[in-house]
Amino acid sequence: MQQAEIHEFLVRFFQANGCELIANEDGWLTVQLTVDLDKELMNRPFYWHYLEKTGGTPNPAKLTFITDPQRTPKNIKGEKIHFGSPRLHQIFQSAKKLAGYIRLYEQGRSASGRGIPLFPWLGLNVKISYQCDRKKDILRSIGLHLINGRMVEGFHDRLLQLDLTPKIPDYSYTISPLIMPKSGILRIKNFLREEILREDHQWALEARQRWEKDLKLLEHFYEDGKEKGESYHNEKEALQNQYEPKIIISVINGGLFYLTENAV
Amino acid sequence: MVVDIKFDSSWEEGFLERINQDGPWANWELYKLAIEAERHTVIEEFDGLIAPKHLPHLTILPHQLEAARKVVENMNGKAILADEVGLGKTIEAGLVLKEYMIRGLIKKVLILVPASLVTQWTRELNEKFFIPAVAQKKSYVWEECDVVVSSLDTAKRSPHREIIYQQEYDLVIIDEAHKLKNNKTKNYEFVQNLKKKFCLLLTATPIQNKISEIFNLVSLLKPGHLGNESAFNRKYKKNSRSIKDDEHLRELINKVMIRNRRKETGIEWTERHVETVPIEFTKEERELYDAITALRSDNTWMSLSPFSIMTLQREACSSREAVYITLKNMLAKTENKDLFQSRIQDLLEKVDKVRTNSKAQKALQLIKSINDKVIIFTEYRATQLYLQWFLKQHGITSVPFRGGFKRGKKDWMKELFQKHAQVLIATEAGGEGINLQFCNHIINFDLPWNPMRLEQRIGRVHRLGQEKDVYIYNFATKDTVEEHVLKLLYEKISLFEKVIGELDDILTKLDFGNFEDYLTDVFGYSASEGEMRIKMENLTAMIELAQQMKEGGNRAASGNP
Repeated sequence: MQQAEIHEFLVRFFQANGCELIANEDGWLTVQLTVDLDKELMNRPFYWHYLEKTGGTPNPAKLTFITDPQRTPKNIKGEKIHFGSPRLHQIFQSAKKLAGYIRLYEQGRSASGRGIPLFPWLGLNVKISYQCDRKKDILRSIGLHLINGRMVEGFHDRLLQLDLTPKIPDYSYTISPLIMPKSGILRIKNFLREEILREDHQWALEARQRWEKDLKLLEHFYEDGKEKGESYHNEKEALQNQYEPKIIISVINGGLFYLTENAV
Repeated sequence: MVVDIKFDSSWEEGFLERINQDGPWANWELYKLAIEAERHTVIEEFDGLIAPKHLPHLTILPHQLEAARKVVENMNGKAILADEVGLGKTIEAGLVLKEYMIRGLIKKVLILVPASLVTQWTRELNEKFFIPAVAQKKSYVWEECDVVVSSLDTAKRSPHREIIYQQEYDLVIIDEAHKLKNNKTKNYEFVQNLKKKFCLLLTATPIQNKISEIFNLVSLLKPGHLGNESAFNRKYKKNSRSIKDDEHLRELINKVMIRNRRKETGIEWTERHVETVPIEFTKEERELYDAITALRSDNTWMSLSPFSIMTLQREACSSREAVYITLKNMLAKTENKDLFQSRIQDLLEKVDKVRTNSKAQKALQLIKSINDKVIIFTEYRATQLYLQWFLKQHGITSVPFRGGFKRGKKDWMKELFQKHAQVLIATEAGGEGINLQFCNHIINFDLPWNPMRLEQRIGRVHRLGQEKDVYIYNFATKDTVEEHVLKLLYEKISLFEKVIGELDDILTKLDFGNFEDYLTDVFGYSASEGEMRIKMENLTAMIELAQQMKEGGNRAASGNP
């Protein structure tokens, strides 16, 4: 992530949360947090608790972030932000936490003045983690048409092309899903499972081999007539934790999208 | 099935709830940002290190990066990091820790370090690596915090021990791990019983004396990697080893150990200047020393072991105070009071007659001429106290440093030394675990007999970050046991110019047991000067042979009778 991207990200994040940007300059920015975002980011529950009890005037923090120290005047004091900053990752986490679930409608254009039907889609952005003693992740975005069961990959990127609003637009009406969200989720899960099973799992085989090898060494170490005590069992369990290959699928965010007939 | 697939269902529950209650729903911009954040942080490859991208301000040296990569990619997260002193093992460990954290492979981490380093580790992890490590102070910390730094001594004691055993650690890091070389100790047992998925052992001296030490370290990490104890002993102990066995063992060890050496790192090191400073006893000091030496041929002293006499001799080379304390203790302990009383009284009188300490005089002179920060190492607490008093008499500020100091006190002393005092007087146990690269003069007031300990001392100062040449002054009193040892260490092994890596190779090759025991044997049990000289020559020859073996490999070994 480049410094300019980080700057842009911060601006968008704070604006999306309704915070006022007091300054937004080349290389730095100052933002007035809202009460909600102060609670989210500043980690000072006692202050807020006290304030609510005493009925004082809330005074949410003002933060200055420096995204490019070279372009920032000397007199500007603030937090330097780069890709490894805990603050940036806190904000990343926060974005995920605050944006887990969504419902949007496509703004359709009616030529004839007749009402536009919007079709229900279930969209899930998922992270698939392949884990043994090593780990990698793959992001996928799946959309499921909740009437006809059609499934689409790269759903999120297609959504980005559309004009979406949180309120149902005038002259539009929604069609009720035939597939319930719960079974929609199940369909997507099964689809992912089948796909993953077809993949090449050499990595998992190798992890199992490493596991097997260390297990043999462990057995050998304790075969000395010594009692296989607690430490043996600890080690054995630790090896399982270390090597056992598994795939974990988690949803980053997702929701319902009502789209025009040929939108995706 | 090769692999298990698990779904995390937490999202689903929240979703169905929102459908029922018609919201609340997130805003579109934030939703998009969440995905963008995820795209930036997702790691799509098993291989490679991501951590450096998160640490742009940190200067990572190539050998450190390579070490971290090896640990993760080739060693499955279980390794002994055994770089020579001062090459940045902490950075390597920090990189591995950071990498696993970023990838989400670990959460619960226990870091055990010498008490004097707890603060420094905690600070470095927070400042250099942005890892929210917490120094253990209250007992709830073990459970509440994810990354905890503590001393081994605290951790192994009740009630901590019991709480720690309840935790499942994803990663355990142990600094100065050579303290775990003996598998019969409480420390060893404690670490062996920790639940740990990944593990890093840090030590600059993986082998101090015996080949079994490395067996014990590796067995903590990966039990069975070097076989079980009896098989290992059969194969590698003592004289039955062949060069082929050695090669095999080396290969095995290299699978779990990374050892970078100064000269291989390509880093420009500052020079080491070593100077032997010969000391002449005063007449009174000489009389005391000779009186102690004479005890050896005294029949009434038969119950006093050669080792005790040796200790007294060495103390006499350090300070009369050191001798005094030992004599007092002897007197208190002995059952045969009448017989001993008069003898010890004789010696105490000789102690009393000593008016000046020749070494201290020399040290004072040296410190004045250096006119900069100086560290004095001594083996004896009594000498330490005396020196502090002595320097104060001459208007020189000093701070003491001991292994027994609590963590906070060590930090405080280090800071006092850095900011306010000219001299730091450390005893042996204080040698480990402090980094003092702001100082570049060391006086070895007396010498430890284990060369690895000497290297640890020097390593406090001659490490990465030392910008000046390092000066080492070894004090040796003429015509004493001290001079003999120094001759051996300095002239024969040419220890001080040597890098430690070669030294531990040599000591391993010798494998005659404990180096110190051997010296005690030479000096303590030799019936005559002649026997002592022959034994010393033997030792020298063995060291030289080991050196040749190392340099010439098999070629030299074939000539080995």
